[in-house]
Amino acid sequence: MAAAALSRALGRSVQIRLVESEDIGTIGVGEATIPPILTFNSMLGIDENDFVKHTNATFKLGIEFVNWAQVGHRYLHAFGALGLDIEAIKFYQLWLKLYRQGHPHYIDEYSVSAMAAKLGRFSPPTLDPRAITSTIAYAYHFDAALYARYLRRYAEHHGAIRIEGKIVDVRLRGTDGFIESVVLEGGETLEADLFIDCSGFQGLLIEQALKTGYEEWTQWLPCDRAVAVPCDSGGELTPYTRSTAHTAGWQWRIPLQHRIGNGYVYCSRFISDDEAAATLLANLDGRPLAEPRFLRFTTGRRKKFWNKNCVALGLASGFMEPLESTSIHLVQVGITRLLALFPRRGFNPIEIDEYNRLCTRAWERTRDFIILHYHATGRDDAPLWEYCRNMSIPDTLRRKIELFRTSGRFFREDDELFVDSNWVAVFLGQKIWPATYDPLADALDSRALERSFQHLRTMIRRAVEAMPSHQAYIERHCSAVT
Amino acid sequence: MGGGTAGWMAAATLGRFLKNRYCEVRLIESEQIGTVGVGESTIPQMRTFNRMLALDENDFVRRTRATFKLGIQFVDWTRIGHSYIHPFGPFGLSMEGVSFHAYWLKYRLLEPTTDLSDFSLQAVACRRGKFMRAINAGNSPLSNIAYAFHFDAALYARFLRSYAEERGVVRTEGKIVHVEQRGEDGFITAVVLESGERIEGDFFIDCSGFRGLLIEQTLKTGYEDWSHWLPCNRAVAVPCESGGELTPYTRSTARKAGWQWRIPLQHRIGNGYVYSSEHISDDEAIATLLANLDGAPRAEPRIIKFVTGRRKKFWNKNCLALGLASGFLEPLESTSIHLVQSGLANFMTLFPDRDISPVEIEQYNRTMTWEFERIRDFLVLHYHANERDDSEFWVYCRNMKLPDFLQHKLELFRAHGRIFRENNELFNDTSWFAVMIGQNVRPRAYDPLVDVLDEAELRYRMQHIRDTISRCADVMPTHREFIEKHCKADLS
Repeated sequence: MAAAALSRALGRSVQIRLVESEDIGTIGVGEATIPPILTFNSMLGIDENDFVKHTNATFKLGIEFVNWAQVGHRYLHAFGALGLDIEAIKFYQLWLKLYRQGHPHYIDEYSVSAMAAKLGRFSPPTLDPRAITSTIAYAYHFDAALYARYLRRYAEHHGAIRIEGKIVDVRLRGTDGFIESVVLEGGETLEADLFIDCSGFQGLLIEQALKTGYEEWTQWLPCDRAVAVPCDSGGELTPYTRSTAHTAGWQWRIPLQHRIGNGYVYCSRFISDDEAAATLLANLDGRPLAEPRFLRFTTGRRKKFWNKNCVALGLASGFMEPLESTSIHLVQVGITRLLALFPRRGFNPIEIDEYNRLCTRAWERTRDFIILHYHATGRDDAPLWEYCRNMSIPDTLRRKIELFRTSGRFFREDDELFVDSNWVAVFLGQKIWPATYDPLADALDSRALERSFQHLRTMIRRAVEAMPSHQAYIERHCSAVT
Repeated sequence: MGGGTAGWMAAATLGRFLKNRYCEVRLIESEQIGTVGVGESTIPQMRTFNRMLALDENDFVRRTRATFKLGIQFVDWTRIGHSYIHPFGPFGLSMEGVSFHAYWLKYRLLEPTTDLSDFSLQAVACRRGKFMRAINAGNSPLSNIAYAFHFDAALYARFLRSYAEERGVVRTEGKIVHVEQRGEDGFITAVVLESGERIEGDFFIDCSGFRGLLIEQTLKTGYEDWSHWLPCNRAVAVPCESGGELTPYTRSTARKAGWQWRIPLQHRIGNGYVYSSEHISDDEAIATLLANLDGAPRAEPRIIKFVTGRRKKFWNKNCLALGLASGFLEPLESTSIHLVQSGLANFMTLFPDRDISPVEIEQYNRTMTWEFERIRDFLVLHYHANERDDSEFWVYCRNMKLPDFLQHKLELFRAHGRIFRENNELFNDTSWFAVMIGQNVRPRAYDPLVDVLDEAELRYRMQHIRDTISRCADVMPTHREFIEKHCKADLS
C-alpha cells in the first residue's frame, strides 16, 4: 500500500525501493475493510471491477454482531446513513421517540445498507442525492495476499523497485541515530533518506533498531491471540462480515468469492490454544482448507509512529484486533498523513510531532470504538465478559457513553473515523438505551412522523427489492479471474 | 433577555423550531436601552442561518439595506503601504492530490512578483468591484462563489422580530429590575420588570450585552480575560455618507493603536476605530476616525468599551448567554454574528428539557470554548505577524507570547507552509493561508510533493488558472449593478 501510494504521489521525483523476503510470510488473511478504502483505491486510479476480479473480493455493507450484547442476540452495524433527518433533528432521535411509544420497527429497517445486507443484495450507491439509494456505503472483503500482489504490480509500474532479500543488519548514523542503511543477507547495503517499516509485529526498524517503545492497551483489549483458517464457502454470498462472540473472544467470518476467511480472536488467560482451535473448527460454514494458524499479539501502539527517519505502518505501528475492520484503514491513515507531511532530508521535528499527534488521535478514537463493543455487554456467562463489563474505560469513551445514555446525543471529536451512524448502531446494538430523547422531537407531530417513517420504509423496501443479489452483481460485473 | 441582534436571532430560531405549542417563547427588551450593533459584516456561514429560517435572500438584502461581501481587505497591517485580501472561497484548485497552496509557494520562488489574489475569483472580483451569485457552470469558478453580507444590524433585528412574532414569540417591553433564583441550586426562576410584572421561565437566554444581566450579575459565572493577546479595549463608531463605488468587501485599515473598519451599506458606510486605550486617548481616536472617512459623518461618534475574552461558562444552570453577554472578540474577521449563530446551532443540538443534564451543559461549553478560542487565535495572528515599527502597540503585538495552538500552527506553517484544520474550527486552510501569506509569514521550504509537476508544467498551469479566473471576473456585473437589478433597498 505504501509503495503504491508513494509511487503514485511522488512520481519519479524520488526513488522508492521495497525490500521483502519470500522466506518471511505475511500475516494478512481474508481482510475486511471499511468504506474509506474506496478513497484510497480511487486516489490510485484503480478500476473497481478490475480490483475485485483480481483480489477475489466481495462487497461489504456492514458487520453483523452475533452474541455480543447477550447470547442469542444479533445486530447489524451497517455503513451509510441511518434514516433521514427531519427539521434538523437527527433521525435516530425521532426513532427513539417512536420506538419508546411502541413503534414496532427496529432502526436498521431505516438503513438501505442494512436492509440490503439482510436480504443478501448489493448495488453501489446512486449519485442523485435525492434518491434513497444514494445513502448506501460499502467496502470490500478481499484476499490480502492477492491485494498485495495487485498493488505490487501497480507500484512497479509507477517506478517502485522491489528487492528480494532478508535484512540482517540496520546501520545507524553516529551523530543522531538516524537509520543510514540496511544490510541484506548477501551483503548488499541499501542506503536511503527515509525508511518505512512494514515488517510486521517485530518492528525491525522502528523497534529493534530504534527502540521506540510500545504502549500497551491490554487492560482494555485483553485478547492476545488469534487462530485463523479458511474454509469452503457454501450457500449464499453474504455482503457483510460476521463477528460472533464466544466465551473467550470472538470469531470473524469474511466471505471471499472462492472461500471464507475465519478466525477466532481470544484471550489466552481464559482459553487454551487447543480449545480455541476446536471452537473455531466447530463453527465453520464448510470444510477447512488449511491447517489452523496461530498468531500472537499485544494490543497497543508504538509510542511514536514516526521516529527519526523511520515511519512504521501496519502491524509494525501497533495492533488493534480487526473487530471493526480498521487495520487496512489505519495503514491508509498513516500513508495519507505521511504524504501530507512528507519530509525533506532535513526532517523537521515539528512535522514529525504533528504526524505522531494526528496518528495517535486516529488510533485512540478507533480504540475507544472497539472497546465499546466489549464493555457494553450484558453477557455474564464467562470471565472475559465479566472482566470487560467491569473494567475502567478511557475518559473519552466514558464521556461519549454518558452523553448517549442521557438523551441519545453523539458528538464526533478529533475528526474521528467513526461518525454518529456508526456509534449509534453499536450503542443500540449493545443495548445502551438513552434515558430520554431529544426534546425537540416533541415539537413535531407524532402522527405525521409515523407517516413519514412508513413512507421511508416503503421507499427503502422498494429500492432494496430492485437490487440484484450480491452473487448476481459479482457474476455480472467482477467475477474473479482465477 | 435583550432585543439586539443576538436576542432576535435566538427568538427567530426558537420560533422556527419550537412548533406545535411545544413551549412559550418570550423576549423582554427595553427601548430605553440601546443596542450596540452598528454596521455588521458577516461571513458566508450566515447564509446557512438565513436558509434555516427559509428567508428570501433578496428580500432580506432589501430590508436590511445590505450589500454583498466577498472578503476583507487588510490595509497597512503587515507594514504601512501594504495591503492584501482575505477572500471567501478557495485559491486555485488542488492538483494531483496536492493543495494549490503548496504549488503556489514553489511558484513564488520562480516568479517572485506573483500575487496570490490573482488566483481567487473572489479576490479579483473585490479588486474590480464586481459581484454575482454562483451560476451552474460546470467546473468553472463561477459555479462556486462564497459570499456574505454587510447589513444594518438595527434593521436586521427588526426584520427578525417580525419573523419571530409571526411564529408565536411574544415580545414584552420592560426593564428588568430583579432576578429570582431557586434556593436549592441557584437556577433562575423568574425576572421582575420595573412595572412590577413577574415573568417565570424554565430556561433563560441572556442577550443583555456586555453586562450579562443574568449570566454574570445574577449567576456570577466569571470571565476569562484575553486582553494580553488582543489588547484593544475600545471602539469609536460613526456612520458616514457613501460616495463613489460600492465595494463588495469590508476594509480593515491598521492604525497606530488598533484598526479601522469600513463596512459599505446601500445607504451609508459604517466606520469604526478599534483601539487600545493604553496607547491612544479617546479624543485622538475620534480625530483619527473622522479624518479617515469616505464622506460626511452622519452622527456623533459613539464610544464603546469592552474587554476581550469569554464568559467562563456560556451555559450555566438554566441560563445560556449569547452575543456580547457570552464574550467579546473584536469584529476583525466579522465573527460576532457567527458566534451567535454557532451558539444557537449548538444549543439546538443539545436542547434541554426541564431536567437539565450537566453532561450536556459540559458538552455545550466544551464546543463553544473551542469555537471562541480558535477564532481568537486567528485574530491574534493578524496582530502578531506584523513588521510595523511605527508604534509601541505593534511592537508589543509582534513580541507577545502566543497561545499554544497558534504557536503550533505558525511553526508548522514556517516549516513547509502546511495548515491542518482541526475539529471543525471555523476558519479553514484557505483563510489561514490568505492571512499567513498576507501578513508575510514565510515558510522555509515548499512541500516536496509539488515536484511531481515540473517547472514548465507548473508555470503553464498557474498561468491557466490565473487567466480562467480573470475571464470569469470579466463576465460578472458590478456590485452596484447586481444590487440595482435584484435587491435594491427602498431608501425613501
